[in-house]
Amino acid sequence: MSEVVRAAAGSAPQAESREASAGERRWRVSRRGFLIGVGMAGAGLALGVTVGLPAARLKVAETFSEVSGFGGATNDPDAWFEVLPDNRVRLFLTKVEMGQGVHTALAQIAAEELGLAPEDLEVLQATTSQGVMDLAGTSGSFSVSSMFNPLREAAATLREMLRAEAARMLSQPTGALRQEGRAFFVQGDPSRRVTFGALAANRSNWQVPKEKPALKPAGEYRVIGRPHPRVDTRDKITGAAVYGYDVRVEGMLYGAVLRPPTLTATLKSVRTARAERVDGVRKVVVDLQNGFVGVVAVSRAAARAGIEALEAEWQSGKLWQQEEIDAAMTVGGPGGVTVQRVGDAPRELRAPTLTAEYRSPFAIQSPLEAQAALADVSADRAVIWASTQSPFVVRRFVAQAIGLKEAQVEVRATYLGGGFGRKAGWEVAVEAARLSKAAGAPVHVGWTRQEELQNGYVRPPTHHRLSASVRDGRIVALEHQQASGDVLFTFFPKVAADLVGADFGAYRGALLLYDIPNRHTIVWRRALPIKTGPWRGLGLLANTFAVESFMDELAHAAGVDPLEWRLRHLPDTLWGRRMRAVLEAAAELGRWGKPLPEGRARGIACSTDTDTVVAQVAEVSLEREAGRIRVHNVALAMDCGLVINPDGVRAQAEGGVMWGVGSALVEEMRIENGRVAARNFDAYPLLTIAEAPHVEVALLDTARDGKPRGVGEPPMGPTAAAIGNAFFALTGKRLRQIPFTPARVKAALSA
Amino acid sequence: MQLKINGKLREVSGAHGDMLLWALRDELGLTGTKFGCGVGLCGACTVIVDGVATRACITPLAGLQGKEIRTVEGLSDGATLHPVQQAFLEHQTPQCGWCMSGQIMTVVALLERNPVASEADIVAALSRNYCRCGCYVRIKSAALAAQQKMAAQRGEAAA
Ligand code: FES
Ligand code: FES
Repeated sequence: MSEVVRAAAGSAPQAESREASAGERRWRVSRRGFLIGVGMAGAGLALGVTVGLPAARLKVAETFSEVSGFGGATNDPDAWFEVLPDNRVRLFLTKVEMGQGVHTALAQIAAEELGLAPEDLEVLQATTSQGVMDLAGTSGSFSVSSMFNPLREAAATLREMLRAEAARMLSQPTGALRQEGRAFFVQGDPSRRVTFGALAANRSNWQVPKEKPALKPAGEYRVIGRPHPRVDTRDKITGAAVYGYDVRVEGMLYGAVLRPPTLTATLKSVRTARAERVDGVRKVVVDLQNGFVGVVAVSRAAARAGIEALEAEWQSGKLWQQEEIDAAMTVGGPGGVTVQRVGDAPRELRAPTLTAEYRSPFAIQSPLEAQAALADVSADRAVIWASTQSPFVVRRFVAQAIGLKEAQVEVRATYLGGGFGRKAGWEVAVEAARLSKAAGAPVHVGWTRQEELQNGYVRPPTHHRLSASVRDGRIVALEHQQASGDVLFTFFPKVAADLVGADFGAYRGALLLYDIPNRHTIVWRRALPIKTGPWRGLGLLANTFAVESFMDELAHAAGVDPLEWRLRHLPDTLWGRRMRAVLEAAAELGRWGKPLPEGRARGIACSTDTDTVVAQVAEVSLEREAGRIRVHNVALAMDCGLVINPDGVRAQAEGGVMWGVGSALVEEMRIENGRVAARNFDAYPLLTIAEAPHVEVALLDTARDGKPRGVGEPPMGPTAAAIGNAFFALTGKRLRQIPFTPARVKAALSA
Repeated sequence: MQLKINGKLREVSGAHGDMLLWALRDELGLTGTKFGCGVGLCGACTVIVDGVATRACITPLAGLQGKEIRTVEGLSDGATLHPVQQAFLEHQTPQCGWCMSGQIMTVVALLERNPVASEADIVAALSRNYCRCGCYVRIKSAALAAQQKMAAQRGEAAA
């Protein structure tokens, strides 16, 4: 087995490969469901914690634990602490760091209850072979909210275990001890002290105390709620951080994979002789049954030259065109699923006051680091380094593909050069594993930009029809009909999808939360010739664009200020109060209603996602000749409950706004002649710094219930609607299809 | 052939293709320089060649002999960061970080050439460096801060 050359140096830090090897870490279930590490290399204390663990699973683990003495693989901590004799305290996390700052936020939460500074903790990425389990992966903006309580409890429990042991060693009552960093000392006599490391080294049969330790009240937080520099920043500005595309091991080769010429083409046959003769090619792998052909070579260039030299015969399928897809992507007809029914909207909508339709296009996640993985497969073991949001899913599919048991496959998540839903897949890791197995050497596969644009899964297009009845200045009925391609159902077995009924990823953000007596949301699932899947926020952006544009249309039709219109339709509930607060804060920050420079206008919109409420005011101008909208400023107010790292949350908000602006103005993928038209960024441009608005952020916490909520996806919800609404305020014309390209802007202006 | 990279002469075989990017990454293991598009559109691979911000993915090895090539790994000596890196650190600029070497090298080249670069100059220099995470607000403020930091340092040195 080859050694890691760089993986240890620049962090995406993982435990040394030896410790990470399969089967060594075992856990004993202790009182209160905590896991105590058993058989650690050397002395030390390990305390693991499960997150959102169904009680049943824990029961199984306990039973098994009684029989065997060990928890085995059924107790699966999502995170654990290790206190080592050299006084290092390590926090292992299954959640991966893809730029969202999760390792820093979780370190802050843990440090708070441990009485430490976050710098006192070494944050490490757990591999899949360390007795951990996190099938959900890192997605959905719930890493912090789901781990907040379990992690605090584990940290507090660890602290109390260490304190009790310190008291015993120093022959003092626990009350006489004070903590200073990673040590306890006797109050009044700092020379009598013992470090965490010495405590860990001194004992092996650790027990978890019966009582839950008291958790710090929010008023006493010293780490949570303070801006903290990210643990990964330094390595990311020196080039030391190691990502999936960067991993190197001794003796590695490079792989490339043959791609179909169109979306529907299937491989009939392939001749490999020419490819085998290409300089540097070591192996050509053909698996016709699975439609897989790959080349292993001494360099990426040689591997791609090998692919070019293959003589493949394809069975071409239908050559889809974008227009056909647009025509099929419409609401109505059989198969609609009503996912929200309050009152009787259809009855009230027989003669609606207003009806409008909106559209959003295909879009591509486009993490700047394309898919990448290195696989090192031997007869009975495989190690995979990958930029992945879903290490455990990768493990499963790799094991299937190369005929190993899951326990024989270890997936080591590296830093991710962006994820955004796209790195929840497993294709590249499976490709690398197949090729490594065939070549008998470690193989790295790094996708080209063309593969990243053409061979993944993409954000589906959507169509929306909204209708409302307005009486006496209030909406009495509102209906949202929505059609979308699959978002999460792509990855669901058919039975499960049928059972669930409608793709909740596709209708994320589609439900109508305003205080309206009659509200219906009906969704249609439309089949598409291309695989569609998760994209940052899932359906949030498209659905919010439709609903919040329509709210704006209704406000203007009623002659009411759009801010006042929204406030008027908020219920007197906690949600309503939280939304009111962010709307008012965004209006204040964005100078809503205040004078503007000539040629500018403002628009407002809001959204709710993962129980985080967001409101934004966008300020825009227009180059009429060119049909180009310029977004100058976006003021964003967000209530995501308790904030762990305010600076990290602001960064997520700023980035979310850029995603919103990009989707509103630029991003659109088209299918031409049966394939994705774009081969590189010239045909699928992203937002640039020159087009980026200034962003102002206000963070609120109206509920003050001490609970953190999602921040990775919610901020991008309202941006596109706010920009479209500002455009209307400026021109009196409505844009109902994103992106607002010059052609669409000009068409709207001359309408 | 021999190339001068970060002040040292390095032997480069060209076994990883004709372009500088893959020699840096796959032959020399200097993976701080990133791949984003391979055709000069995204800026992730930006290095500095004889003082000019240069896209390594479209820069042939042939013709680089005798030139000074600088990559992100050569910016600091390990202990002290380059003022541009320092500013990016202080502004907590990176999210995923994949674009950051390219952003930083572009700003370094700009400020070395034009120490009084304005915000408009900075935006123009960075206008073809994508950041998918959308760190543009901080990239701009960090670059401006770096410009001031370097100006102040020059002032001290002159005084
Ligand atoms: S990788 Fe060179 S410009 Fe994109
Ligand atoms: S930080 Fe992720 S691409 Fe810029």
